[in-house]
Amino acid sequence: MGRLAVDIGGTFTDLVHFDEGNGNLEAEKSLSTPRDLTQGVLDTINLSGIEPGSISFFVHGGTTVINAITERKGVRTALVTTKGFRDVLEIARGNRPDMYNLRFQKPVAFVPRRRRFEVRERIDAEGREIEPLVREDLEAVVEQCRRQHVEAIAVQFLHSYVAPEHEAECAAFLRERLPDVAVTASHEITREWREYERGNTAVLNAYVQPIVQRYFTKLEDALRALGIDCPYTAMQSNGGTTSFGWAKAHPITLIESGPAAGVNGAALIGELCDEPNVIYLDVGGTTVKCSVIESGKPKVTTEYKLEWSRLNPGYPVRVPVADLVEIGAGGGSIAHFDAAGSLRVGPQSAGADPGPACYGLGGTEPTVTDAKLLTGVLNPENFAGGRIALDVDRARGAMQTIADGLGTSVEDAAAAVIRVVEANMNNALKLVSIQRGHDPRDFVLVAAGGGGAMHAAPLGRELGVKEIIVPRYPGYFSAWGMLATEPRSDFAITALTRAEDITVERIHSIFSNLEEEADAYFASADGVGSDALGFSRSVDMRYFGQEHTVTVAIDETAADLATILREFHAAHERAYTFSLTDTPVEFVTFRLTATASVPRPRVNPIDGEHRSAERAYKGQRIVGFGEDGCHEADIYDREALPAGFEASGPLVVEEPSSTTIVHPGQRLWVDRLGFLHIGEADHSPGPN
Amino acid sequence: MVNANAARRADDPVTLEIIWGKLQAAADEMGLMLARSSMSPVIYEVLDFACGVCDDKAQLVAQTNGITVFTGTFQGHVKAVIGKFGERMRPGDIYMVNDPYSGGTHLSDVGIVKPIFVDDELLAFGIAVAHWTEIGGSVPGSLSPKATEIFHEGLRFPGLRIYREGERQDDLFDLIAANVRLPKMTLGDLNAEIAAVRIADTRIQEMCAKYGVETIRSSFSHLMAQSEKVSRAAIAALPDGVYKANDLIDGDGFTDEQIPVQVEVRIEGDTIAFDFTGTSAQRPGPLNCARGALLSAVKTVFKALVDPQAPSNEGWFRPIEIIVPDGTVFSATYPQAVGWYFEMTGQISELVWMALAPLVPERFSVGSFMSLCATFFYGKEPRSGDQFVLVEPHMGGWGASHDQDGTSVLIGTADGDTYNYSIELLEAKFPIRCNRYAMNVEAGTGKGRYRGGFGVVREYQMLTDDAHMYASLGRSIERPWGLEGGGHGSNNYVEVTSNGDSWRGARVPTTELAEGARVAIVTGSGGGYGDALLRPPEAVRDDVLDGFITADAARADYGVIVSQDGTIDSDATEELRQQV
Repeated sequence: MGRLAVDIGGTFTDLVHFDEGNGNLEAEKSLSTPRDLTQGVLDTINLSGIEPGSISFFVHGGTTVINAITERKGVRTALVTTKGFRDVLEIARGNRPDMYNLRFQKPVAFVPRRRRFEVRERIDAEGREIEPLVREDLEAVVEQCRRQHVEAIAVQFLHSYVAPEHEAECAAFLRERLPDVAVTASHEITREWREYERGNTAVLNAYVQPIVQRYFTKLEDALRALGIDCPYTAMQSNGGTTSFGWAKAHPITLIESGPAAGVNGAALIGELCDEPNVIYLDVGGTTVKCSVIESGKPKVTTEYKLEWSRLNPGYPVRVPVADLVEIGAGGGSIAHFDAAGSLRVGPQSAGADPGPACYGLGGTEPTVTDAKLLTGVLNPENFAGGRIALDVDRARGAMQTIADGLGTSVEDAAAAVIRVVEANMNNALKLVSIQRGHDPRDFVLVAAGGGGAMHAAPLGRELGVKEIIVPRYPGYFSAWGMLATEPRSDFAITALTRAEDITVERIHSIFSNLEEEADAYFASADGVGSDALGFSRSVDMRYFGQEHTVTVAIDETAADLATILREFHAAHERAYTFSLTDTPVEFVTFRLTATASVPRPRVNPIDGEHRSAERAYKGQRIVGFGEDGCHEADIYDREALPAGFEASGPLVVEEPSSTTIVHPGQRLWVDRLGFLHIGEADHSPGPN
Repeated sequence: MVNANAARRADDPVTLEIIWGKLQAAADEMGLMLARSSMSPVIYEVLDFACGVCDDKAQLVAQTNGITVFTGTFQGHVKAVIGKFGERMRPGDIYMVNDPYSGGTHLSDVGIVKPIFVDDELLAFGIAVAHWTEIGGSVPGSLSPKATEIFHEGLRFPGLRIYREGERQDDLFDLIAANVRLPKMTLGDLNAEIAAVRIADTRIQEMCAKYGVETIRSSFSHLMAQSEKVSRAAIAALPDGVYKANDLIDGDGFTDEQIPVQVEVRIEGDTIAFDFTGTSAQRPGPLNCARGALLSAVKTVFKALVDPQAPSNEGWFRPIEIIVPDGTVFSATYPQAVGWYFEMTGQISELVWMALAPLVPERFSVGSFMSLCATFFYGKEPRSGDQFVLVEPHMGGWGASHDQDGTSVLIGTADGDTYNYSIELLEAKFPIRCNRYAMNVEAGTGKGRYRGGFGVVREYQMLTDDAHMYASLGRSIERPWGLEGGGHGSNNYVEVTSNGDSWRGARVPTTELAEGARVAIVTGSGGGYGDALLRPPEAVRDDVLDGFITADAARADYGVIVSQDGTIDSDATEELRQQV
């Protein structure tokens, strides 16, 4: 029996297969087929030679949802709101983060005003009905939707997070009268307050729903025809999987599924290395993604904003998303000078096409990859397993503009480009770790993506992590992470209550209700029985008067309110340097995460036959190590490195999909699973 | 080692770049701390605050996104602390300052300043400025429209040491708590600001440990020098000359008499002077501002002119000279009330912007709704009996520019990354129901080749028999200006219906509201740019389909005939456009 993960990216469709019989792990790659993505999936499976009948678990990850949104290729969508509030979607929050720009433009609403309809109904903040839903207004909406050929409808009424009845009634009516139209009621996606944020989330779900529905239906048919006969699951942004059926109705929960899979992969690496606290770094072609895993648990947030930047308010999406910081800095990021003459790297990227200048595919601008080539980190003959021969002269030509601007040699310019991009990466890493109250000394840094391993050594040193780990197949990391996922769903309800008005019994009863919801969800979505479920409970709490909350984990057996409060005070102090023990405390949102456990893949140790230090040693070359200067460095072939191998930097480890560097003063060792570990020579824990 | 790398020289441009990135990250982190731990909606929901880092001479080196008009005041606040304490400042000290006459804005905006020492030597200051919902004075919310002296507007902190070498000065906290109406909220905000400046200290210490204090110190001066260079080059690229604008401010709340204001901008080489001589004398009410706020308002538009996106620091502003006699509405003197200073800073920014807009069309839109349209509601929550105060700015329409329509429902220039209040949150916290939050299409917008953005209508209903309101909205008489043939925008006002009485107003003194009373806050639209007859018929049709304008308006204002089924009658349109 085997477990199969397929990750459909913009350029490549990656596959990772884990044979549960012999513990072997295989990876395969083929070009994605944008016109019909299912074709790329089938191509990759065929190429891998896997026996379809042997597959017992299939997980899908991809960019269908996020691409449809960012390319504005969703369907013609309408919005139905409480009377008086159809413009909330366009008003948004009215802020100007680009605050000195007197020509600021807001992000454009996904539903234009002509398709935003109002109906009479009203519920107050406590969930009481103020005005019933007026049926004849719904008739008018149906008529308008027909006339405007609407393909999807979002419904969002005020206070539906506390009392969803009107929304449910409206959605049921529309589904009955417009059976071919996809209908999303906001409470079906999120039960958190703030009308703009919840409404925008519902709108984006509706906007992609018909597309995703068609896509998964087609993929199901194709997989079945191929002979893969097992439950099909889809990777979600919360780091768990769900059935295709659920994904079709809630596609917005897939928005960041690829990166979330990577976070899961990092958690699994941590587990295999007995390191529950992980800072995850993924360096791709255009972006860097960072995230934190504490005590084996990836962080998940509902404050995700699509297309957000310091200057752009973006679009809030209130579904659980792995808490990632993403910046425009990767192998393809372009170095340039800004108006003030300062050296900048990214966020513009040369992407995969034309790619960095050294690819020789027409790119002329200097990129990070060109800089890594010019500093000797990349071996021109070994890039992408030797499939792309890197052109040093073209890289040199492109980097000359930077050298001229700085008045230095091309090599020094390349070193400067790397320092600037690594400083950006470092700020992103600090944002997810130190700025969120974590001490990097308690964490390992897991580096993945094609570029993670060639930046990890200096970044890990600056951050002060315990150790850096470079897993196997860092270039296939999302697919590998998907193998490690479990069916998961998150349930939350906002129930604002002061601590003096709450009892432990009440807390348990709220969680029991959420557990019932979870049982029902898993029974319908995944066919999982309630005894196979694991729950973790938490509450967002705050001081009376505050809006933002601190999340406190609730022990199932917690019998004591004082303990919960004590933990809240401590968590607040950790996050904000102070606590207010004499101020009333409020319970705001109760959260339940339900997961169904599946067996984790057990990875085989690397075998020793073809592996030895002598075979792995490939010679020396001069390599730039940033602030640590240029050195004659030993070069090793990762595929020949044996378990237990140890060496001191400066050195470079090459493999087909990645290059790892180890700085002077750092030490490398290889564990039994073939993972590379890098630590500071003076305080590395070493193999044991 | 083959090649020694002298990467950490103090003037190495790459090291500087990295240090500036870290400074920016530290300022952003300060903002995050403040918003997340604050107690008042105006800070955590509306984000009425700003944070930053200044050098040892009070010059701004890094700031958060936040409120435009606050960041220009950091220098004044820090200078006030240096001026008073000088050599007596010690590591672990934290100061509090809010004096409008020494660089601040109004008493409600409280600056918390922490000197940052490295090896016992002063290196920098962390500063946070936030709007406290309540700081005492004659009305809840502290901004009485009838205030005539600063003493009516709350507590004045002329640079107070609230932490002495790390030790909290409890007496001062007690004094504040005893003199404000919502002490928990007020002290909560103070705590949040303290947390923010402490983080600045921690981060700068870390940077010094890594790069050395001298490198950090010199990075400050390099940063400012570089920005100054770009700033001067941008001014030098503009034609030398004198550019003027004048405007009328709506009445001061005591009389309806309009208040003339003016500016003369003189550009000469790489310097720029803003001369407000001729502006009306200060008025009896709180619609005045002091010099610090004036400077800050000018900086906002100046930054928009030279480079809106680059991170802000003092270097950008060195070419600026400001000329204004004492005692005008823009340079009010002690003890004149200045509570509603933000109406003046909005007006100042708009005035300077009006003078420069024709010169640099790629940087400026035309006239906006301008005012912060701030409203205050207070009273008692009927069930708990607790006092509530709801302070809100309101969003409105911005002007068009030479290549785009104006943006609808956006916060005014005096604020920045400032949010509207979520209706669901508002209804859960206050005894108020919102019946409508919609774009104000009824009043129309500045027509033009590119049209102005729309304002908003926000209608409240009181659910308590103990409620009051006050407000002061600008641009209720003069309308937002258009350019190159573009039309005017519309006005801001509030409409109150209470006890069967219905009236409109803009400068609204404290007013009692009956249970069930309705208050509609209506903001205006922005001006248009260019000839409306040149607007593409498709854009006009889209506006008809979206209900932004009627088919009649399409015909009358734009010469476009849109049929009942939403199509353009091209022949009739062409004919009509030729006739007009």
